[in-house]
Amino acid sequence: MILLEFSTAELQLMRTLLAQYDEIVHGENDPVLARLFPVAYRDDPDAAAEFARYTRSGLVETKSSRAGVIAAAVASDEAALVLSDEDAAAWLPVLTDLRLIVAERLGIVRDEDEVPDDPLGEVYHWLGQLQSYLIDALDALT
Amino acid sequence: MTRTDSAPDLRTRDAVDVPWTTVVWNDPVNLMSYVTHVFRTYFGYPRDEAERLMLLVHHEGRAVVATGPREEMERHTEAMHEYGLWASVVRA
Repeated sequence: MILLEFSTAELQLMRTLLAQYDEIVHGENDPVLARLFPVAYRDDPDAAAEFARYTRSGLVETKSSRAGVIAAAVASDEAALVLSDEDAAAWLPVLTDLRLIVAERLGIVRDEDEVPDDPLGEVYHWLGQLQSYLIDALDALT
Repeated sequence: MTRTDSAPDLRTRDAVDVPWTTVVWNDPVNLMSYVTHVFRTYFGYPRDEAERLMLLVHHEGRAVVATGPREEMERHTEAMHEYGLWASVVRA
């Protein structure tokens, strides 16, 4: 069991991010999709296309349903969240995907790229802190 | 002739039995603790080995995280994509 305390603004932010996330993973033309659904064969376009054909809808489904776990948790204005270990584990990949999306918008493509000191940069750091907290909490249990 | 034909060729056998790997590539976004966490929870690597592989990804740009039949490597790659890691299937 993991406890999380969110402000009203954070709850609202998370809902907004999740709604956009769901749209993005179900979309088709966003450049960030290349990172959310990476090429599985780097030197074989045919094999890569076949892999995508067989896995894409399942991956979209998994990502969307995990986002649903978070959406359910932040649906009310209750600031104190209690997550089961299983739910917390479902949060982690979504937080990673959200960070990948924000990073793409911020143009972060290399390790040395700096996170800008602006609202989107703050979102990026906030997602990372949240993910880090959940990882530490989960790792402490095992 | 017959003798030569039936002689075991260890290189060929090896290439047939274990020709594929799942490779995880470095990205500037994923937290080191997250990558380690995924290697531990999904592959079941002990903490030390998971950390070693994570550091390989970080410093070398890539690490082989699994080796085996192609289908299995595709399943692992798909799982890594579920976790948001940058993975691909690579012939060993």
